[in-house]
Amino acid sequence: MFLQQIINGLTIGSVYALIALGYTMVYGILQLINFAHGEIYMIGAYMGIIAIGFFVYLGLADISLTLTLILTFIAAMIFTGAYGITLERIAYRPMRNAPRLSILISAIGMSIFLQNYVMLAQGAKDKIFPHDLKIQGGLTIADAHITYIQIMIMLISILMMAGLTYFVKKTKIGMAMRATSQDMRMAGLLGINTDRIIVITFFLGSILAGAAGVMISMYYGIVNFSMGYAAGIKAFTAAVLGGIGNIPGAMLGGILLGLIEALGAGYISSEYKDVFAFAILVIVLIFRPSGLLDERVSEKV
Amino acid sequence: MKAFYRFFIFSLALLFLISCAKKEDVIKIGTAGPFTGDQARIGNDMKNGVELAVSEWNTKGGVLGKKIVLLAEDDRHDPKEAVSVANKLVSAGVVGVIGHLNSNCTKPASRIYNEKGIPMITPASTNPEITQQGFNSVFRTCGRDDQQGAGLAKFVIETLKKKKVAVLHDKTTYGQGLSEEFKKAAGDKVQVMIYEGVTQGDQDFKPVLTKVKSTNPDVIFFGGMHTEGGLIIKQAKELGIKAPVIGGDGLYGSTLLEVAGPAAEGSYMAFFTPTAETETGRNFVKNYTAKYGEIETYAPYAYDAANILLEAIAQAKTTDGKKLIEAIRAMKYEGAVGTIEYDAKGDIKKAGYTIYTVKDKKFITYSKSK
Repeated sequence: MFLQQIINGLTIGSVYALIALGYTMVYGILQLINFAHGEIYMIGAYMGIIAIGFFVYLGLADISLTLTLILTFIAAMIFTGAYGITLERIAYRPMRNAPRLSILISAIGMSIFLQNYVMLAQGAKDKIFPHDLKIQGGLTIADAHITYIQIMIMLISILMMAGLTYFVKKTKIGMAMRATSQDMRMAGLLGINTDRIIVITFFLGSILAGAAGVMISMYYGIVNFSMGYAAGIKAFTAAVLGGIGNIPGAMLGGILLGLIEALGAGYISSEYKDVFAFAILVIVLIFRPSGLLDERVSEKV
Repeated sequence: MKAFYRFFIFSLALLFLISCAKKEDVIKIGTAGPFTGDQARIGNDMKNGVELAVSEWNTKGGVLGKKIVLLAEDDRHDPKEAVSVANKLVSAGVVGVIGHLNSNCTKPASRIYNEKGIPMITPASTNPEITQQGFNSVFRTCGRDDQQGAGLAKFVIETLKKKKVAVLHDKTTYGQGLSEEFKKAAGDKVQVMIYEGVTQGDQDFKPVLTKVKSTNPDVIFFGGMHTEGGLIIKQAKELGIKAPVIGGDGLYGSTLLEVAGPAAEGSYMAFFTPTAETETGRNFVKNYTAKYGEIETYAPYAYDAANILLEAIAQAKTTDGKKLIEAIRAMKYEGAVGTIEYDAKGDIKKAGYTIYTVKDKKFITYSKSK
């Protein structure tokens, strides 16, 4: 049972981590909590269903299911990324120098708008991910069951997180991102196009959330317009838990949150599943106000 | 210029006030339920049932010589929202309400309708407490959870002959209520291995199901709705749990089949009598499917509820709430689901239910009982 709970926790935790990265990257650069990020994740899930429907219509699924799924991921991520960029362009850039509270309100407004927009465009009913297009089956280790979808979620999450770490640490754009997050004005003076860096940050955060959305829609099999809210709050918690603004912190926070939820629900009571996550958050924030991994919040805020 | 604007705004307001004050010569009835969100499908199914009844009456020339207007309000299966839409319907001047769908919405809303003395007939809320509040304006066309829970307990003990049961519920008035009734009716004939709540709207039930698995039950009872039910059925299969999932009318809905997919095969759910084999029943099925497509769940119950309300208006020859309530209580109505007669509390006198199972992606009748 313990091993099974760890598997359950790691699966959902890696999804939280992917979404939390978007929160944390945007916060790192703009000191803005992008409350519409949960909705970006929800749009990712819809994009996945639309993309796979399109590829099936083209007859691609009959040729190769793996190829269809890979293309679905890519298509969904690109479109979700486009949503992220547009969001930044219309809701945050015009307010770059506005008081922070105004930008926050703009973020909440976008969140409400996107939810209702998807509800109107896609209908209020649950959308179902086609069963016969999902990866079937799984493995049994000891008495724990792990489905191939769970393995896929963990692998893709690890790959994406590794890719992001590499991108931020080793590439020139990554260096520019780090510079912008340390001091935007100085980075601008040194010739970094900070507007472009912000766009790239939003794009990266959104494609991660998009991938998370596609994976969740495969895992649970249903998608609805309100799914972004709860996931967004949880991922935001994960980002704060790890230390908001800190990329490894978001990954750690996400995985921890998933594990806490699974173990709390499994060993104590599932009635209070959400309580454990938030209780741990409160406890961590009492002793480490800047989160588990963050050291530099005090100088920033 | 400024004065002009003020005058303009005043004239706009005037226009609005005058349009409100105009006496409309129609009879308004209300319906409320979850028309958007994860339960939108059964919510709209209910609304369509009411709509069909209203449109049939209107083609016959309305009631009391007036046209009937249906006001539909979305409560999003949220009790707070239910109270606010109930107030909205009341202030819009409805003479009766068909709804709500979910017991946790019907219960707080029924208080508001009762205060105004407006009859409310719910086609789907099965929690026993709804008719035990001492409100004489509350009626329902469906059965109650204590009847359903007892039937399901009997089914587990006598038909399936299972002893070890894991009971999960969704912490709502309906889900938890049904689970309690099931547990009470089963008594010591079954062993309840685990009794736990899950959160409605959650999608990850693997942690609690892992715990359920470790207690090794023969059957999993779930008191809740079809979205969560479908996810529980699917995730239980993924965890290698072989025990079938069994539940009440909340699980009966095509969303469950879509969400759970092939995993749904062999699970059991109770639902009330489907449409009766009478002319009214057959006509209803024919007209409904022609207009809205397949019947989901509560449409016939909503259709009957609306007809009972409109018939009461026609018989009482008034829209006065008190007279309508009397008329409904005295009525013996031959509806799409059979004969409906009310007892003093507002429950139907005869409530049958059917146990369904899933086979080849369809609900099929497993056993009928009275």
